[in-house]
Amino acid sequence: MSLTLAIRIFEVLLGWSLLLQTLEYLRVQSLDRVAVWPILQQEIPARPAWIKFCLNKLFQPRPYKALLGLRLALAIALMLGHIGLIGALLLFLIAMLLLLRWRGAFNGGSDFMTLVAITGLLLAHIVGSLTDSPLGWRAGLWYISLQTISSYFVSGWVKLMRPEWRSGRAMTLFLDTGVYGPLPAKSIFRNPTVARICSWSFTVWEGCFPIALLDVRMAWMFCAVAALFHFLVFVFFGLNRFFWAWIATFPAVLYCSGAKW
Amino acid sequence: MDFTPLLIVAYFALLAITLRKRGGSIEGPWLFFFRAFFPNWKFFHGINLTPRLYVRGQSKMGNWSDWCLVYPRLPLKPQHLVHNPAVNLALTHQNLVDHLANDINDLPDGTDIRERVTYQLVSRLARQAIAGGQWGDRPMMAEEPLRDLSAFQFEVRMEMPGTQSSYLMLQSPEIPT
Repeated sequence: MSLTLAIRIFEVLLGWSLLLQTLEYLRVQSLDRVAVWPILQQEIPARPAWIKFCLNKLFQPRPYKALLGLRLALAIALMLGHIGLIGALLLFLIAMLLLLRWRGAFNGGSDFMTLVAITGLLLAHIVGSLTDSPLGWRAGLWYISLQTISSYFVSGWVKLMRPEWRSGRAMTLFLDTGVYGPLPAKSIFRNPTVARICSWSFTVWEGCFPIALLDVRMAWMFCAVAALFHFLVFVFFGLNRFFWAWIATFPAVLYCSGAKW
Repeated sequence: MDFTPLLIVAYFALLAITLRKRGGSIEGPWLFFFRAFFPNWKFFHGINLTPRLYVRGQSKMGNWSDWCLVYPRLPLKPQHLVHNPAVNLALTHQNLVDHLANDINDLPDGTDIRERVTYQLVSRLARQAIAGGQWGDRPMMAEEPLRDLSAFQFEVRMEMPGTQSSYLMLQSPEIPT
């Protein structure tokens, strides 16, 4: 995949992912009666005092909505290819503010991967402004690619080291606890042999993900399986943000796998 | 000579080695908020005791309900792939229960858990659930809520998925509404 094409697809997918997340944040504001800022703010360290003062102002309903509105506009601008250094910096700052608003994460891993992508975007623009744009983008895409591949590699190997995953038992139990669960009584995933085969298949696939860097065809295959995997995670666990957050990083993996060393 | 491939191989080898080691954790208020900068990428890695929230309520007549599990169960809809605020909110609320369990485990001697933000948030969640709160259009509990609530009480129980194994980690006092 050429650098230009990788950048464009990455921007569109990251912008789309941010757009969806932001629309959800806006809706959550009217749904949530639990995680309210007057309680959450107690955890913000008292010093430096100006930070807490600013956050208390910013996370009032109207300014918070305006902040999300700005993020929405930036997401659309990113999709249209109109984000420069300032835009990337703003997206990064808003991401940090959202971490403070939601006790470090609203939706766990998807927030982490979104931050990786935004950091890569910022890195690309900073390095690009100091040297030249292609070098900046190469740095940004490599950062994103290594983080993405690490996420699969770590996730796969920690599971393979656990006996409950090797036996397939863990997969059935986790699927039972999913938000769209439990599994039907006659689900195929209750069959121990099927569960074991599925567990081994996707944990070995995750653990072998660094192989994707060797060849662009391998990278396409790994990314295609990854897309299916994230879709299934959505189907069972409702994690739609994970789907889009990881998909947005695939252009980086595809570019890096085809890069000449 | 280009050392990039070697560096990449070294990186993943180092990553593999660190997976086998149990490192110390660095803690601090700002680090907690910005832990997203240091993701460990360990999702669903093992079956462990898991905190679950139970709540019961007292009607204005003085009768207490049974203990009810507060746990997100929602129907899958295709449009959730692009817009899923209720489920994501429900998962965030379940995370609060996990964080409260962590706070209880890490509580220094002489400290009152009720001062913790996680306790206050879970208390709000419990009250909302027993009073008929919903995630989207789905109630937070399988059981009927109490409409004439005068007090409520919640428990955090540690349960082993797939077994009946359970122990009580925390029981709140009876909290008037």
